[in-house]
Amino acid sequence: MATVELKNVIKRYGDLEVVHGVDLAIADKEFVVLVGPSGCGKSTILRMIAGLEDISDGEILIDDTVVNELEPKNRNIAMVFQDYALYPHLTVRQNMSFGLENHKIAKAEIGKRVADASVILGLEDYMDRKPRQLSGGQRQRVAMGRAIVRNPKVFLFDEPLSNLDAKLRGVMRTEIKKLHQRVATTVIFVTHDQVEAMTLADRVVVLKDGHVEQIGTPEEVYHTPASVFVAGFIGSPTMNFITGSVSSSGDSVRLADNFVLTPPEHWHAALAGRREVTVGIRPETFHVADAEDASVLDIKIDVVEPLGSDTMIFFKIDSAEAVARVVPKLGLRSGDTLSVSVDTQAIHFFDPENGQSLRGSEA
Amino acid sequence: MMRKNRTWPIHLALITISMVMLIPFYWVLKTSVAGENIFAYPPSILPKDPHVFFFVDVWYFIPFVRYFFNSIFVVTIVIALNLVFNAMAGYALTKNFRGKKVVMLLLLSCMMIPFQATIIPAYLVTAKMGLLNSYIGLALPELSHIICILIFKASFDAVPKSLVEAARIDGVPEWKIIFKVMLPLSKSAIATNVILSFIWSWNQLLWPLIIIRDTEMQTIPLGLSYFLSYFEDTTGALYAFCVMALVPTIFVFLLAQRQFIEGLTSGATKE
Ligand SMILES: Nc1ncnc2c1ncn2[C@@H]1O[C@H](COP(=O)(O)OP(=O)(O)OP(=O)(O)O)[C@@H](O)[C@H]1O
Ligand SMILES: [Mg+2]
Repeated sequence: MATVELKNVIKRYGDLEVVHGVDLAIADKEFVVLVGPSGCGKSTILRMIAGLEDISDGEILIDDTVVNELEPKNRNIAMVFQDYALYPHLTVRQNMSFGLENHKIAKAEIGKRVADASVILGLEDYMDRKPRQLSGGQRQRVAMGRAIVRNPKVFLFDEPLSNLDAKLRGVMRTEIKKLHQRVATTVIFVTHDQVEAMTLADRVVVLKDGHVEQIGTPEEVYHTPASVFVAGFIGSPTMNFITGSVSSSGDSVRLADNFVLTPPEHWHAALAGRREVTVGIRPETFHVADAEDASVLDIKIDVVEPLGSDTMIFFKIDSAEAVARVVPKLGLRSGDTLSVSVDTQAIHFFDPENGQSLRGSEA
Repeated sequence: MMRKNRTWPIHLALITISMVMLIPFYWVLKTSVAGENIFAYPPSILPKDPHVFFFVDVWYFIPFVRYFFNSIFVVTIVIALNLVFNAMAGYALTKNFRGKKVVMLLLLSCMMIPFQATIIPAYLVTAKMGLLNSYIGLALPELSHIICILIFKASFDAVPKSLVEAARIDGVPEWKIIFKVMLPLSKSAIATNVILSFIWSWNQLLWPLIIIRDTEMQTIPLGLSYFLSYFEDTTGALYAFCVMALVPTIFVFLLAQRQFIEGLTSGATKE
């Protein structure tokens, strides 16, 4: 049982405020991922939860107890660091048991927990090696093992996969997810990689410049992004943003000379009375036009990037760069022309001034 | 081939310099076995009729063994406590706290005060504590060296911060972080501490001269100076004494040499 709650948490270094009033409530056994670009304050927030950094203002609660003044060791948390933080002079076994030896736990119990963790993580054959005799992935496992044996209320991960190569990262991602299902503990995971965030999280917290942009399930942040920032950060390749001009009643948006979109009803009210909006179109929202499409755009393909399962095509809408994801069997080449259309149900409209989604005013 | 051609002049220069440095040692060794007049001209390169009787003389005519064990005893206390105190102080200096700059400044400026300048207060303190003429008293002013604290600080600074943080989260107490995490990762700083505190304590003359009354409590350098004043024409025995006093120093240095050099240089590149 462990809930974690942040109430208006602020972090200042001297006069510099780097985390601006973050509110977040994490349920028991929930897997929450903090994601955002470098320097947005992810690590700082995680370290405040761990107790490695002071909290300048606000409160952090673990299991409804304010922990602001609690030493890290009294918070019943375990943390996996980006550089693994393994003790180079200790063996894998000693690395895993070192933290337990200070908790008045019987030797036999320590041995059992370490053995159990080594089985879960497939480390049985490496228990007497030193960290430098292990591969990156194995070190990563040892770091996780050290956290598991603690039996903590909350696991904290600070970019634990960023030192691994792409393939191993995928493997370890799956392992972490399995591990979470197995130990059923609250997890707070920090990453700058949106794919990791989407695949691991029960809920994603998107951060920007020290404040929360959006909190939601992976589906929510993907399908209903709260701002241009979230929309652009989540999803790969990134969402296309094109400036469109709105008709006076708000029922049509013109992107190019003869390319006019008809937004679904629920956007109309929010669009009415605006002259310009930022239109967000995900690459997969484009499709090759057929007879049923009301408005069609003729494009000339600049670049084709085949990925195997999909093909990316790059083109221009007026002067704006755009990318679309199409099926590879079309056999397209650069220089080809094509008629495309978009699925209007899946497009987004943002306020060009502040970047906020206009969906908020839909109600 | 190319490489060889380029390194031999350096090697030659280094060998020449080491030879020059070794000459005094050789001279001491030579005189200790031959006992000839050191002002003889022209000097003889090889000892004439070498023998070991001067060493025997030193061993039997003065309580050399006693001096030797006094020195060993004091030096052991000094080394052990230097390691403990300096490691703790060095660890504290890796943390951020209010007034850290002042503390650092204080330490650095204290390094510039020569021991001679503090000798009267040091004597008074030792006397007040009733430690005159005792082993602890002998060791007292040597128990921590600022330069060694700074060497530990530099070495600890090089240990990734996340190790300490991981330990803190796991509830490892600070003393255990110092002695079970930091020290095992700072072998060269330890070696440097051992060698420096050994040499300084082993060679200390002024302090024992002031606080030691009994012959029983005399250390080697003190014994050497008395030896000088008692026996007048004993060049050979004197040099034999020097050799016997030098051997442990060389021994300790050889033992810890590699780590020592690493420790000195790594300390030098850190701020
Ligand atoms: N000790 C410090 N003093 C001053 N500013 C700091 C300090 N530590 C971090 N910062 C600032 O706080 C902000 C957030 O840092 P943080 O390490 O949390 O970023 P992050 O989101 O984890 O980035 P990354 O993905 O690069 O790890 C940064 O702008 C950083 O410059
Ligand atoms: Mg970070």
